[in-house]
Amino acid sequence: MSGDIRLRREFIATALLLVLLALLPLVQRDVYWLGVLVVSAYFAILASSWNLLAGFTGQFSLAPAAFAMIGAYGAALSATYYSVPPILGLIIGTGAAGLIGLVLGRIVMRLKGPYLALTTLSFAEIARLVASNSINITRGDLGLPIAGWFNDRVLWFYVFLGALAFVICGLYLLLRSKAGLFLEAIRDDEIAAARSGVRIVFWKTAAFSISSAAAGFAGALYAYFASLVTPELGLVQQTGLVVSMTVIGGMGSLIGPVVGAFLVYVTSEWLRDVGGWQLVIFAALVIVFARLFRTGLWGLVTAALQPRRGKPA
Amino acid sequence: MLTGALAADLAVNGLVTGLFYALMAVGLALIFGVLRIVNFAHGEFYMVGAYAYTIVAARLGVPLAVALPTAFLFGAALGWVVERTLMRPLYANIATWGLMRDEYAVIVTFGLSLLLVNLVDKAIGPYAFRAPALVSASRIVVGPALMSGQKVAAAGVTLVTLAFIALFLRFSYWGRAVRAVSQNRLGASLAGIDATAVSSLVFALAGGLAALAGALLSPIINASPDVGAFPAIKSYVIVVLGGMGSILGAFIASLLLGLVESFGAVLVSYQYRDTFGLVLLILFLLFRPQGLFGERGREV
Amino acid sequence: MRNVSHLAIAALTLSVSLAGSAYAADPVKVGVTVTQSPPGSVVQGTQVKDGLEVAAKMLNDQGGVLGRPIELVVEDTQGLPEKARAAVEKLITRDKVVAIVGEHQSSNVLAGMEVAHRYHVPYINTNGWADAIREKGYPEVFNPNNYNRRVAMAAADSIKKLGAKKVVAFAENTDYGIGLAKGIAEQLKAVAPDISYRFDTLDRAAKDYLPAILPLRSDPPNVVVDIMLPPAAYIMMNQVYEQGVAPATKTWLYDASGLADYPDFWQNVKEAGKDMLVFGLYHPKMKAPELAKTIGDAYTKKTGAQPNRLLYQAADSLLVVADAIKRANSTEPDPLVKALEATKYTGTRGEITFSTESGYKYHQWLDIPYVTFQITEIGQKVADAPLVEQAGQPLDPSKLARP
Repeated sequence: MSGDIRLRREFIATALLLVLLALLPLVQRDVYWLGVLVVSAYFAILASSWNLLAGFTGQFSLAPAAFAMIGAYGAALSATYYSVPPILGLIIGTGAAGLIGLVLGRIVMRLKGPYLALTTLSFAEIARLVASNSINITRGDLGLPIAGWFNDRVLWFYVFLGALAFVICGLYLLLRSKAGLFLEAIRDDEIAAARSGVRIVFWKTAAFSISSAAAGFAGALYAYFASLVTPELGLVQQTGLVVSMTVIGGMGSLIGPVVGAFLVYVTSEWLRDVGGWQLVIFAALVIVFARLFRTGLWGLVTAALQPRRGKPA
Repeated sequence: MLTGALAADLAVNGLVTGLFYALMAVGLALIFGVLRIVNFAHGEFYMVGAYAYTIVAARLGVPLAVALPTAFLFGAALGWVVERTLMRPLYANIATWGLMRDEYAVIVTFGLSLLLVNLVDKAIGPYAFRAPALVSASRIVVGPALMSGQKVAAAGVTLVTLAFIALFLRFSYWGRAVRAVSQNRLGASLAGIDATAVSSLVFALAGGLAALAGALLSPIINASPDVGAFPAIKSYVIVVLGGMGSILGAFIASLLLGLVESFGAVLVSYQYRDTFGLVLLILFLLFRPQGLFGERGREV
Repeated sequence: MRNVSHLAIAALTLSVSLAGSAYAADPVKVGVTVTQSPPGSVVQGTQVKDGLEVAAKMLNDQGGVLGRPIELVVEDTQGLPEKARAAVEKLITRDKVVAIVGEHQSSNVLAGMEVAHRYHVPYINTNGWADAIREKGYPEVFNPNNYNRRVAMAAADSIKKLGAKKVVAFAENTDYGIGLAKGIAEQLKAVAPDISYRFDTLDRAAKDYLPAILPLRSDPPNVVVDIMLPPAAYIMMNQVYEQGVAPATKTWLYDASGLADYPDFWQNVKEAGKDMLVFGLYHPKMKAPELAKTIGDAYTKKTGAQPNRLLYQAADSLLVVADAIKRANSTEPDPLVKALEATKYTGTRGEITFSTESGYKYHQWLDIPYVTFQITEIGQKVADAPLVEQAGQPLDPSKLARP
């Protein structure tokens, strides 16, 4: 199965999934559960943006949560100190994360594997420590309150779902274009890609910046939803969740991170009342999937659907 | 601001902190040397050691002299199991894994970290546990500085352990085997060294050392599920500073980081003291990836 | 046929009346946010939770409110504002609680009360001291507990009486810590402008405060003020003692956060706690209403621990809500808030009323009783610690024991 057809199938499957999700408020209008779905959509954007790096470009960053936090603070700080309206705050948050991602992406471009992971982890920790210790500006761990945008949970659900759809469409268009080919070539063999004229520096930096901007966008949106921004958004554990969701759903596929995010987060909330062992189970699943089913749930599904085509894509 | 007395104080305290860092970092450097991976679950070995010591000493009432080695053995056993079950694909069929090897190592150790933290959180509880101190004296004069008895005792045990590890690596057969595999895995295998056994050995040793660090510090820093996150990040900084895989480098970098943080907190900024090491890490990876003592030309 | 339909109607009526009576026995749900896991103070959270459970049991044994039992729905905040916000949101939207009680950290109150304000649900602040909580002027929020301005005044007066020239405070990086540290600065400026005072903000998640403490070794102040909560406060105290800074012949240790009656106090500090001066909201030698003994005994029976201030604050928080529900004869927000505002209820610590003046006095019980006592022995119980300042009187330096 060629990459193009595979990508289109994944896109159609994702679109169907989003349509199904959009129908949910018909049966479930409970404020609490709508809130859970909103947070799931937030994580789905983060996981999809991280997947662009880890799954499609081969850059294993450990900073997605930090970029979401940067986006959230971009919105909250500009709202607090310059009374910026929400739309502009979203743009500022997204832009700040994208710009910082551009700089960091350019710097870490040469690094691979554990070195890249260590550098992005350090960056994430620095960002979080600065946010939590610059008490006079950010109020530190107490969090920066930000005036909510609106209150209607159903509306918030559609806003987040729309944002997720927007990110998925953007990723699809990007991956379908030449850029997608180049990124895949870089992931599979960087030296060979360079030899055949792919501008490695440009494409890797661009991917890093776009991924960071998408994470920042999710964070900024979340800031208006939660109306409180704290450094916890950037905790390494949050990145752990994003990684888990992507690995469980299926790394390197368009739909995997979305499935993973909704599955992991909704199940977590659902199981909260029965003891809270869900995080243990998900962490164990991450290891099992990494060890045995490298293509995640989505890979298992496609393999089950096409038993005769041999190896799953 | 910086008087002579204060400088002496800061130096002693920084060096002692550095010693504790070394216990973690040496193991991480050993793993990197042999397997060429960063163990992102290193902090959880520390956490397991803190719990093992606390539970064995405080709950079961076992003498402290037995509880400390128990914590080491616990960490070592866990390290050995982890290596046998999860690290084997890293070198078992290296050819078919190719590019995915690094990615696998990050995901699996990261997942393992999440698993252990959450498992302990559910099985034992999120509460901090306080362990019995090795020495009850709460104030001891150490040169120009004052220090709690617990800290002095822990520093003593650490020094002895590190010296023992140094001798082991320098003179024993297995120590030489570890160094040989670190330098050239294939060459060492051809020379008849069991590289697989060496991999298990370093993981067990690293797990034991980190667990010992957790045990020694648990009377000062209570055991809790996420207690390992902080020392783990310090040890990442140290292995980069010291040159990934260099044991002597890791030791010296540990002391240096202890001093940098101690002086930096007073002279530069108390608020941002934990970022100094991380900034150093990034700068080193970018401009001197071989670290202070690593070999040149290592692939980055 | 006719009979059958009659039967059906009878069955229907029966089931409706059953449903009706089931409804009447439906519990009145009260939401609780407390810290049950780190990094927040689990000890505080447990004391508050136990206190609320003791009070709820007492109320239910007396027949509940409006003939319905009280049910506590507890959420863990880990001491984190973001979690506290989410917890209040969940309690109101999912569990449909009629009021929120129990929060014991200022930063969490500030986060949680925003949600309560948005949904217009009464919020009883059990132990948030920050003045900012009152200054917001939210009609749903009521404060039957201590407030920073009161501690600041008490601390400034005590420091002056101690004859201090130089004072250093260690404040945790929370609304409570920074707010109180600044409050003491203002009060000192007013009552004793010659005293040099500064405060260091310490991260409560950190494990090592030596960099902030070591510089004091060569030039120690006359008073070190603790504005931190456990477990960070214990680490700080031990290190301040270990470095010979305080308590020492030259330097008093003044605790402005009520550490001494935590059950794990003596498990965590030894010499570091001896000679410490304590701002106390509860001391067995204080005068208290009858109810204090009933609640205190039930608490000791339940937990085996001695009564403490958080127990009484927690119990009063719930009792005030129950009292308001009875007077309002309703659990709806509007009548409930109105009834709360008119509170005149003798709880476990005295007669509780809520001021309607604006600023830090808004919806605050102004006359919170307090004392100052000194710990004179390692392992001493609060009951045995001598009072150096009776409620409503100034500190008496002649009663102090020099370290």
